[in-house]
Amino acid sequence: MTRGTTELGDVTPHNIKQLKRLNQVVFPVSYNDKFYKDVLEVGELAKLAYFNDIVVGAVCCRIDTSENQRRMYIMTLGVLAPYRRYGIGTIILEHVLKICEKDGNFDNIHLHVQINNDGAIKFYEKFGFEIAEKKANYYKRIEPADAYVLQKTFRSKEVKESKEAQS
Amino acid sequence: MPTNNPLPPKENALFKRILKCYEQKQYKNGLKFAKQILSNPKYAEHGETLAMKGLTLNCMGRKEEAYEFVRRGLRNDLKSHVCWHVYGLLQRSDRKYDEAIKCYRNALKWDKDNLQILRDLSLLQIQMRDLEGYRDTRYQLLVLRPGQRASWIGYAMAYHLLKEYEMALNILEEFRKTQTVKPYDYEHSELLLYQNMVMREAGLDKESLEFLETHDQQIVDKLALQETKAVLLSKLGQDQKAAVIYKELLMRNPENAAYFKLVEDTTNPENVEERLKIYTDTLEKFPRASLPKRLPLNFLTGEAFRKRVDQYLRIALHKGVPPLFINLRSLYRDPEKVRIIEELVLGYEESLGTNEYFSPEDEGKLEKESASVLLWTHYYLAQHFDQLGQTKRALEFINKPVESTPTLVELFVLKGRIYKHGGDIHEAVVNLDEAQSLDTADRFVNSKCAKYMLRANMVKEAEDMCAKFTREGVSAVENLNEMQCMWFQCECAAAYQRLGKWGDALKKSHEVDRHFSEIIEDQFDFHTYCMRKMTLRAYVGLLRLEDVLRNHKFYFRAAKIAIQIYISLHDHPVLDGEQDEKANAENLTPSEFKKLRNKQRKALKKAAQEKEKQKEQDKKDQSKTKPQDPDVDGPKEEELLPEKLCRPASPLDQAIRFLRPLQTLAASKVETHVLAYEIYSRKGKLLLMLQSIKRGYRVDKNDPHLHICMIKFLQTGKIY
Repeated sequence: MTRGTTELGDVTPHNIKQLKRLNQVVFPVSYNDKFYKDVLEVGELAKLAYFNDIVVGAVCCRIDTSENQRRMYIMTLGVLAPYRRYGIGTIILEHVLKICEKDGNFDNIHLHVQINNDGAIKFYEKFGFEIAEKKANYYKRIEPADAYVLQKTFRSKEVKESKEAQS
Repeated sequence: MPTNNPLPPKENALFKRILKCYEQKQYKNGLKFAKQILSNPKYAEHGETLAMKGLTLNCMGRKEEAYEFVRRGLRNDLKSHVCWHVYGLLQRSDRKYDEAIKCYRNALKWDKDNLQILRDLSLLQIQMRDLEGYRDTRYQLLVLRPGQRASWIGYAMAYHLLKEYEMALNILEEFRKTQTVKPYDYEHSELLLYQNMVMREAGLDKESLEFLETHDQQIVDKLALQETKAVLLSKLGQDQKAAVIYKELLMRNPENAAYFKLVEDTTNPENVEERLKIYTDTLEKFPRASLPKRLPLNFLTGEAFRKRVDQYLRIALHKGVPPLFINLRSLYRDPEKVRIIEELVLGYEESLGTNEYFSPEDEGKLEKESASVLLWTHYYLAQHFDQLGQTKRALEFINKPVESTPTLVELFVLKGRIYKHGGDIHEAVVNLDEAQSLDTADRFVNSKCAKYMLRANMVKEAEDMCAKFTREGVSAVENLNEMQCMWFQCECAAAYQRLGKWGDALKKSHEVDRHFSEIIEDQFDFHTYCMRKMTLRAYVGLLRLEDVLRNHKFYFRAAKIAIQIYISLHDHPVLDGEQDEKANAENLTPSEFKKLRNKQRKALKKAAQEKEKQKEQDKKDQSKTKPQDPDVDGPKEEELLPEKLCRPASPLDQAIRFLRPLQTLAASKVETHVLAYEIYSRKGKLLLMLQSIKRGYRVDKNDPHLHICMIKFLQTGKIY
């Protein structure tokens, strides 16, 4: 007997409230209506995670074109507490990383975590993320207010530069 | 007999073209040609032309003119079968079937062998269930067209429906012999099965069986063949052979509970083990079948039951089967089984919560269970305690998963249901609203939410909720009426009744009644269609269903509400000017009473003024309205206005109208007779009151409402 099957499903206007509920429970930060409006436009970058046909997790990303770079930014990625340690988070993150790989034009992928969120930090480190910097008072209404920026570089820029250098 | 006024060749040709235009639905052209004939002064009053013109106008929606012309034409030419036929067609399109039959008969007087008229007449007769007339008409059709298949079958069917089986079978057999059969002949197969059906109804079991065996190869519906053979073998006492067939049928479909029961009946197992063997044998061949796992739970007891139900529960909870409780609910009649199940599932809950196994013994031997299993266990326990009426405990159990997994729609539906059973309908609505908002593509949850809103008397909110799924551009209520959505209308009627809005409630009840009438009307097209397609068994089934259509529970609900309201309107009529309010003038002080009277007078005046305005507006509208859509057939029904409905001239007569079908078709419900008593007691019909009490007593002598009726009756008797 297996633990259960995990599948990813699309976020649609019909089920968007399930995403809202999930984020409300999992994250100490609340997101406004614009966030959920944008989420409906990003296609594969927003997914619901189903475990045995129940929505237990979700991910919302967006493409960030600041600092002269093309970066993937993970806004939220979370799984309901009773369902952690089943490998669902891994499946979600691998989905996002695969999108970056297929696209090929991302400089890096990054996200923010509260500095006391050891579980999250260890999780991302397994996939090759590193602490890039610390942002003081990143969060407005929770304690601790500081956040780490976790980042995984894809080296696409160096590859481009080296290719240009060769030709 | 030909008409008095035959047309010369030129006009005759035009007339024939009118007929063609009518058949091809080219109505404007038809009118043109008719005008040409009628403009000739010699034939300006030609009966048949006038009649055809009327018919064409009817198809264009100009009903009043249509009738005028047809009647004129008929007056001018009473001996014309065409005129009578057309008049009959007009009546039929207005659903006045009895009148139409009379017209057709008249038409036949002047043209005995007119096939078209005979066919139309036969359709009307079967629609009205005039079986003797149908038989005679069918005979005439057979004599005129013995080469047509439908003539024979129609004639035989007439005898079948009249229960004269011998005649029916003779005809069918004669007909069958003349048929040449193609290799895979569905229609011939249906004929054979129909013939067999008549044999079985005649009680000729042995002959039926022989018939099936002889024509085995030609019958293509193998399933019906096998099932019928098995039933006949059983009836003839050959249970063993029947059992063989049922076991084969089980191999065909191991999820059919009827087959299992029949296997049990025919093999007559002596003890529980033998009985169980039937199911375990099936499971060996179909390990994933669900019914053979469930059915043994019905007859097993004690330790054997415990073992099997334990297994059943574990598999279902592991998989996360939402309707698990529904599947087991029928076992809850047995308190011993309830106790066993409760013990097991509470055990799971405890064990899963501590170390993620169904029971402490599993540790180390099996894999751990996931968190979703605990969720479904809590879900099951909530339903379990809700069934046992322990609302508080049920809520405890549902709140746990709601907290941990607030994304699952089913949890909120169940929580709402628990509140409803517990009596707090408003909290239930809150939960159902949450449930439907989580998945707005789910129409089932949406409908459940609307239903709960109606139970809470929130009619407007329920309409808005349903509007999320009904057609755009039309109001939700209108669309639901068009779609014959009777659950909604019955719930609305009940809600309006609770709110004291008699007119609106009556409107809904009448709408439901109309749906039933519509369904009975709709069978008209099937008379020709089924004959042509040879789906005879299904056709007879349809006729029999339509005969008892109003025994459906939706009709009972709507009729009950209507009768109750009419009775209360008889007791407390709604006065003009009063807005359906339960205002009781006796409770007011004199000055308040004066004020109320003034208000009523003003309201009356205003109402009268509005009526005048409305009349003028209607007149304007009528001259403006274009002719009706020609595709709309049937008369436009009177609009149901709540204000008019709650002021009926004779509420008790209206109540009786709703009561009649209940007395015929729902006589097994004691409520029918209680309602009948209430109506008749207000009419003072002592004998009918006594009849209702006697009928009710036969059904359920301990019914409390019936008891009250009996006391009231005895008191009435004392007065006399």
